[in-house]
Amino acid sequence: MGTDDVPLDDKAKRMRDLLSSFYSPDPSSTPNVSSKHGALDAINTNSFNADQYMNLLVQKSNLEALLQRHVEMAAEIKNLDTDLQMLVYENYNKFISATDAIKRMKSNIVGMEANMEQLLDKIMSVQSRSDGVNTSLFEKREHIEKLHRTRNLLRKVQFIYDLPARLGKCIKSEAYADAVKFYTGAMPIFKAYGDSSFQDCKRASEEAVAIIVKNLQRKLFSDSESIQARAEAAVLLKQLDFPVDSLKAKLLQKLEQSLGDLQLKTDELENVTVESTDPSKQGKVSDSIRSTPHEASVREFAEAICAYRVIFPDSEKQLITLAQDLVIKHFEMTEQYVKRRISSANLLGVLRTIWTDVLLMDEILCEAVLPDFSLEAAQVAVKQYVASTFTHLLQDISDALLKVNISPKEAAEEFPLQVALEASKKAVLQGSMDVLLDFRQLLDDDLGLLVKLRDFIIDWVQEGFQDFFRALDDRFLLLSGKNNSSSQDNGLTEGTQSEKVLAGLVLVLAQLSVFIEQTAIPRITEEIAASFSGGGVRGYENGPAFVPGEICRIFRSAGEKLLHHYINMSTQRVSTLLRKRFTTPNWVKHKEPREVHMFVDLFLQELEAVGSEVKQILPQGLLRKHRRSDSNGSTTSSRSNPLRDDKMSRSNTHRGRSQLLETHLAKLFKQKVEIFTKVEYTQESVVTTIVKLCLKSLQEFVRLQTFNRSGFQQIQLDIQFLRTPLKETVEDEAAIDFLLDEVIVAASERCLDPIPLEPPILDRLIQAKLAKSKEQNPIAS
Amino acid sequence: MQGGSSGIGYGLKYQARCISDVKADTDHTSFITGTLSLREENEVHLIRLSSGGTELICEGLFSHPNEIWDLASCPFDQRIFSTVFSTGESYGAAIWQIPELYGQLNSPQLEQIASLDAHVGKINCVLWWPSGRHDKLISIDDENLLLWSLDCLKKVAQVQSKESAGMLHYLSSGAWDPHDVNAVAATCESSVQFWDLRTMKKANSIEHAHIRKANYDVKKKHMLVTAEDESGIHVWDLRKPKIPVKELPGHMHWTWAVTCNPEYDGLILSAGTDSTVNLWLAPTSASDESTSGSIAESPTQQADPLLNSYSDYEDSVYGLAWSSREPWIFASLSYDGRVVVESIKPFLSRK
Repeated sequence: MGTDDVPLDDKAKRMRDLLSSFYSPDPSSTPNVSSKHGALDAINTNSFNADQYMNLLVQKSNLEALLQRHVEMAAEIKNLDTDLQMLVYENYNKFISATDAIKRMKSNIVGMEANMEQLLDKIMSVQSRSDGVNTSLFEKREHIEKLHRTRNLLRKVQFIYDLPARLGKCIKSEAYADAVKFYTGAMPIFKAYGDSSFQDCKRASEEAVAIIVKNLQRKLFSDSESIQARAEAAVLLKQLDFPVDSLKAKLLQKLEQSLGDLQLKTDELENVTVESTDPSKQGKVSDSIRSTPHEASVREFAEAICAYRVIFPDSEKQLITLAQDLVIKHFEMTEQYVKRRISSANLLGVLRTIWTDVLLMDEILCEAVLPDFSLEAAQVAVKQYVASTFTHLLQDISDALLKVNISPKEAAEEFPLQVALEASKKAVLQGSMDVLLDFRQLLDDDLGLLVKLRDFIIDWVQEGFQDFFRALDDRFLLLSGKNNSSSQDNGLTEGTQSEKVLAGLVLVLAQLSVFIEQTAIPRITEEIAASFSGGGVRGYENGPAFVPGEICRIFRSAGEKLLHHYINMSTQRVSTLLRKRFTTPNWVKHKEPREVHMFVDLFLQELEAVGSEVKQILPQGLLRKHRRSDSNGSTTSSRSNPLRDDKMSRSNTHRGRSQLLETHLAKLFKQKVEIFTKVEYTQESVVTTIVKLCLKSLQEFVRLQTFNRSGFQQIQLDIQFLRTPLKETVEDEAAIDFLLDEVIVAASERCLDPIPLEPPILDRLIQAKLAKSKEQNPIAS
Repeated sequence: MQGGSSGIGYGLKYQARCISDVKADTDHTSFITGTLSLREENEVHLIRLSSGGTELICEGLFSHPNEIWDLASCPFDQRIFSTVFSTGESYGAAIWQIPELYGQLNSPQLEQIASLDAHVGKINCVLWWPSGRHDKLISIDDENLLLWSLDCLKKVAQVQSKESAGMLHYLSSGAWDPHDVNAVAATCESSVQFWDLRTMKKANSIEHAHIRKANYDVKKKHMLVTAEDESGIHVWDLRKPKIPVKELPGHMHWTWAVTCNPEYDGLILSAGTDSTVNLWLAPTSASDESTSGSIAESPTQQADPLLNSYSDYEDSVYGLAWSSREPWIFASLSYDGRVVVESIKPFLSRK
């Protein structure tokens, strides 16, 4: 085989192939393939055909190549010969060394057989001796073993006969553990022979065990025993196959019961705190004193739980629910409590007790994660507290406002509106401040529970204020009877409400809105910035929850709306008056004027009522004449020619077609008089606006009628009478003058025969009216 | 917000209250208006907007025997219109025809087709059949509602039926429902009454005080807009007459007239005694979705419904009319006799 491992050249490789094929076990396999194709390579195969090879070679090669081939082949043949020779030598050497080895082995084996026989002899003798020993000792050993067995049995019997006595002894010495051990040891025997030989014994010991069980149970339930003792008792009972689970349930029930008791105590405590905590500091002190009984009971409860846990180690789950129940009950109570009106101090008191309870419980039962659990519950409770506080505040304010509705009946109060305004102002500002102060207490407290909630509280308070003011705005609208018609539910009640609403209340609301916008909001913003900044549990992108700007805007617009609503209400009252005045009589057949018509009195009365309402609520404006800049862009204006008396006298002559042209021309040169100016929050501005609107209505009513001369004169008389008192009440005399003139112009335009009263007659009638009213006034007052 | 710049003015000689769109004139945008002067000779003006839309041309000037309190153009014949007039002591109503060759005559006289002379009290308005050629007319006086049948050729008007509104209901104006020709709304002091013309019975009513004018939404069924003295403008859905669908603030003083645009949804025009005309955008999005949609949105969507306030008037504005030919144009008439025609095109884009 290929013994040479050296890298082979072509020739050597072929050599090896040849040799291997020579030695190979199946020489026919390889040559078969190549023999078919007679190629030059086939020289190495078995089926080498020399003739074919020659033919092929001669055919394919030229002479030179043939010659070369010849040389090559000769060299190859020579090589092969030498290789073969080498191989033969090698094999021969190996064969010689093998023969040598065999020869040596043969000489060594010769002495071995004698040694083996000697060994066999010795082993045989040892065996016979040991057999001798065995037979001689056998009998004795068997006897000993029997004796030993009997003795054990006797001892056991003895033990069982002694068992009742021993158990009794154990009971006496309260060594229940031993007793149980004995009893359980004897158990298998009782089981096997209890019905026959050891009947009495078994009965006696069972009686003893029953006593033990009873004792153990008592021990388990008695609170005076140490926890270890109770735990042991439980373990022993378990060993005695006593149904422990029912015991467990019973004990748990007991715990739950004590939980109930605990709850009751909390309630009492709350009552106590409500009564006792006025100044917050004292409250704290009394809290800590008062809460001691509660704390003690909680501690007891905690210990019980602890014991229970030791006794029944696998009862955590139940205990956790139990503890959570405690917390839940606490917070349920708190939520109930929060619904009543309480101060932060009270809430703090309650929270503090709860927190101490929780901490106590946590020490014992940290698996229940009570602090986290109670944190969540506290979050709800505090949030509710914040919400309810704002609800109460809202209620307070509307209560203060609604007093207006009652007070007019009590004539004792001179300025019911003013009182209401002051009260509600105070309710808003003081109420908000109190609320803030209250919340600050929550923030400042270092109670672990609240510290974690601080950020939340800040957000809640801010949100609370935001919502509160929105709600207040809604409430204002509701109170004013001017509901959003879009909300249909309110819309249904609108009709009934608006009748009840006092105009004065609307005015109070308007002024209150201004107050909130200008005074209350800045104060509250300041306060919030001082102590409730931060927070930020809400996303920062949302910004702070309390947006004073928005609230201000809401209330500014609400104030304007309410003021307009008030003006509208007042004007409407006058309007009905005027409507009646102008629709009832037949103006074309009017009789000559004899006196100033009484609607003027009613009109003035209404204005007076408005005046007195306004005086109570609104500040006095700077006394000044009308300025043009007061009107804003959106209000409209009407300019016209205030026809003076002298012009009036001219107009009674036939004016002909030029009349309108004349008024138009006059308008061009007259200063523009603004009727609809922006309303301000002053007495004068509001009264003036109302008077203006009323006079404008008067003008419109006049324009719808047709008058005969007397009708026109009646209007002229009434208006003339109105002139003086109106000017007194109003800041913008020019506008009033103008409007009054407009009424007379309108009447003259709508008159078939516009001849005005002579000034002397006018004067006389007015004087008569004045005298008459003077006469009446003392009686009236 | 100064509306004066875009308006085209036209002056009447005397004071005036009423203006009407000449619906039957399909070639021109024209309006008809009449003066209200107790002691002078009153006139009826037929005004046409020039083709460029820059000028108001007086097409015809006719004398009218009495002061005109109400005027309505016939929807099918541009030469026919109705007036309600007063002699100062008594009221009358008549149907007039403009003479055919009025351009050539020197002082053309109006031809009276019929006199609606079955009234006793103060007549308030005459309503034409909402659209198309029809012989029915309604006239409303203080206490009664009269249904007339008019024959233009024979020049007679006969009372078909008459119903009293009942005691203490002083009717003030009315509107004919364009969607239901059997329904007429009549405003009175404390309510809007809905009459069924087939039975001449009151069918329904909206209880709301001091409604001065009512106007049906031409585009949307069941929608009615009302103008009140003190409390502005209300939009009603007649199927829910208890609560208004929408409330608009109206004017500084009384809101006198209100009218819905005949083409563009939710555009409302109102005129007031504070010498302004206000253009409102109050989409009342088909009532079914308005109940759910608008209420939910309304708190957030606080967009000002007031699109524009035209304030270039010298006196109270009583007359208001959309052009039905060019629905972005309206004419307004203030008491001092000034007609102003405005285009609302700049505001249409905002819709």
